Order: sequence, then C-alpha cells, then structure tokens
Amino acid sequence: MIALYHGGPSGHSASLLIALAEKGLAYEDHRLDLAAFAQHAPDFLAVNPAGQVPVLREDGRTLTETFFTLLYLDERYPDPPLGGADPQARYTVQKWGKYVETHIAPNLAIVDWALRGQTPDDTARAGFERLPSERRALWEQAVTGFPAEDVQTARAALAKAADRIAEDLAGTGWLAGDAWSLADIIVFPHAARFASLGVAVPAAMADWLERAGQRPAVRQALGGQDLAVAAATMGPERGRWG
Amino acid sequence: MLEVYTWEPNANSGKPLFCLKEKQVPFVFHYIDMGKREHFSPAFLAVNRDGTIPAVVHDGFVMTESTPIMEYIDDAFEGPALRPADPFWRWRMRQVMRYMDNQVAPSLAMLASNRLAAPQFQGADPAELKRELDKIPLPERRAAWEKLMFNKTPPADLAESARRVREAIRHFDALLAETPWLAGPDFSLADINVIATFYGLPTSQPEQVNAQATPHLWGWLRRCHARPGIQQAFRLGKGYIGQRAAEARGLLGVEEAAA
Repeated sequence: MIALYHGGPSGHSASLLIALAEKGLAYEDHRLDLAAFAQHAPDFLAVNPAGQVPVLREDGRTLTETFFTLLYLDERYPDPPLGGADPQARYTVQKWGKYVETHIAPNLAIVDWALRGQTPDDTARAGFERLPSERRALWEQAVTGFPAEDVQTARAALAKAADRIAEDLAGTGWLAGDAWSLADIIVFPHAARFASLGVAVPAAMADWLERAGQRPAVRQALGGQDLAVAAATMGPERGRWG
Repeated sequence: MLEVYTWEPNANSGKPLFCLKEKQVPFVFHYIDMGKREHFSPAFLAVNRDGTIPAVVHDGFVMTESTPIMEYIDDAFEGPALRPADPFWRWRMRQVMRYMDNQVAPSLAMLASNRLAAPQFQGADPAELKRELDKIPLPERRAAWEKLMFNKTPPADLAESARRVREAIRHFDALLAETPWLAGPDFSLADINVIATFYGLPTSQPEQVNAQATPHLWGWLRRCHARPGIQQAFRLGKGYIGQRAAEARGLLGVEEAAA
C-alpha cells in the first residue's frame, strides 16, 4: 500500500495527488498542516530529515523529490501512461521537471514570501533549527527578508517561465508531445499561482490552465480548493553558481 | 543525424560524450572552446539561445539540458542499457544525479574556476571584461562569470563549497559500501554523471580521496576509469582534461584500454 505525506492540494503535493488520481491508485493519507509548519516537527523529520513534503512510502521505501516520485509512479504503474509517448516527449517531460526545480519553484517561493511579509512565530523558528544546514540557511534568509534585487530577479525569472510555457504549448496545447503528461502535472500547480503573484499569464497558458483544471482527475485531487491559496514554503535552493 | 555541441569530456560538457561512447553510438562532434567563450558566440547562440553547453541536436530536435539529454540517449538509441530496469533504482539514479547537479558539481565548479580560471582575468581591462559579460544571455550565468572575472566570490561561499564537496565524498563512499555502482548492481547514468566531475579527485584531492580514507569510492573510481567507453570519451578532449584523466588512471593503477 502506498502512503502519502502531503500538504494538501497545492504546489508539489498537488502534482502527486493529481498523478495518483489519474492512475486511480489508493493510498494511506497523511496530510500535514504546512501553515503550522508541521513538516518541521520531529515526527515528520523522522520520515524526511529535509522537512519537505510530499513523501511517498511503498514497500518499506521512502521516496522524496516530487518529480522523481512522479516518474517512479509512472514506471511502476504504467496505466494510463503519463511519461510521454516517444523519446522526444519523454525528454521534454524531463526538461520541464528540471525547469520547475531550477527556475520555477525557487523563484516562486521568493516572490510569494516577499508578498506575504510573514513573521514566523517561535514554534516555526524552533522548527528551522531542526533542519539540515542548507534548508535552515534558506529559511533564515527568508526570515531576514530577501534583498529587493533578489525579488526582482525572481520575478523576471517567472515572467520568462510564463513565456517558455506558452512557447511549448504552441504546438499541441500540451507541454510535452500531443497529450497531457507529467510535464503538465509538474508545472500546473505552480503555474496556477502566477496570476495571483502578479506575473503576466499569456493567453495560451491561461487556456491550458483552464483545460487542465477541468480534467476529472485534477478536480478530484483538488477537491474544490483553489491552487492559488497555498501555505508559505521554501522551494529548492536557487543555483549557487549560476 | 546526431550532433553534439560541447567542450571537453568534463562535467556537464562531458555527459553526452560519455553516454554515447558507452553505447557506441556514432555522432558528429562540434568542439565549442569554452576557454575562448565560444558558447557565447553568435554561431553557437543560433543553436542554443541560452548559451549553455552541451547542446545535442538529433534529426533537428534540439536538447540543451545535460541530465535529461543523458536519459534521452539511453532512451532513443540501441546499445547497453544505462538505466536500471527497476523503478526504485531508477529513482535512486535520479536522486544521485540531482544531488550531483544541484549541490556537488556547482560547488566543485566554483572552487576549480576560482583556482584555475580566475587568474587569467587579473589585470585585464575592465571595460573589455564588461563587453564579454554582455554577451552572456542567462542572468544567472552572467552573475557567476562576473564573480569570477572580478574576483568577487565571497570567501564564505568558497568555504561552503569545500564543505559540500567533503560531504559528497563521504556520502558517495557510504553509498558504494552498499552496492558496487551508485544506483544499484549495474553501471548507470548516475555513475556517468558523477565520474564526469569526480574523475580527477585522486590527483586534485589526494588527502581526501585515497585507498585508505575512501576505499569504496576508490574502487569505484578504478572501475569507472577502466571502462573502454569512459576512456574513449576522455580521448575526445583537445585540451588538458584528457591529460588529467590519464594522470588519474596512472595513480589508480588502471590499464589503458585498447583504442
């Protein structure tokens, strides 16, 4: 039996919830309250020392990193296939998985945090102390506040990401090949937040967001929750050497 | 037709070269001299507008992300499989590659470029360097080159990079105590990804990487360097990388494979 630790239908957790729904897989549901920083509590750090959701457990193994967990699910449960129909589509799926991690998620976290102006309470701060050094450094930077220049750079990166999404949609209406795939599933929950963060959404991207949101598995996974509403999280570290 | 635009068999540049030689897939090699910053030239920017190497073009399909390119090569061409069949070990292979790509390789690149490349910019005309910087399309790459050219990498960043490399050496030695290769019983893309950056550690970090301190990593380095495909890829180098690999083979006591 699959067990899923997740933060509800937003961000990376939403991608896994959508994939499980697409494949009709049952799972043991462990939902964490990210607004209360439950992902930094000792009992969850015993599951994933990095203090990040989602985490999938199966056969006594613990899988982290959303995109790789999506690939794992698709390779282990190939029906219906979501990994791309041919090598080119599969490359494009991999390209988007990487792009979310290096260009979208870290910059989204910075822009989102800057808009919130949130001050973590003592419980949240105690949680940061329990994290590995790279994750702790990221949260400490967030608490201090990201320099205005960094926020500006992050905003520019998201604007460029929106353009690249629209560009890849131009051919078939989907990001990789001619069908809905893991590329759409990994990008969609992040892209759905662009407008509320003040990032311009090109028409092709708006149309794709609409079509994605109408899919039965997506509606089932989201359960009526608006993807734009999400707790503050820190994405992956932004590339430290260009 | 399969065309590879890249620099030396080193780090990201080397990934497609090692994969293609391991699978014995023929290709056209376009050497892009990174030392002369040819990857920011108009001719190369026409292939990849981001000005990053490698770029691989297969029958007109352009690919520019080095780790996804490795998966594509294994996916699209005949030859020995470079990915485990089991989904869990594939997950492990990708985790190793991600850790290498995000944490370890950039740290080693920061240390190596500050040691080896930064001195050539000392005393250069700042206006000329600025003009060079303006040719770089990606803002994050421009920022990295600016730090390098103007010697502005903060010492704390260099110290953190050194820490990450030390940690990675320990981590990989521990993984290799469990399985002969980084993603299980068989050689895979994970091993190629790591050897592409770690091949020279026996000579560059002898106090950290040696038969006593890191016996499992040492055995793995020997097994990687002994592979004919890996040696063939190193022979594609036109600069000092091939020589560095040969020195590492000498120190590891690895025989030269037949050409």
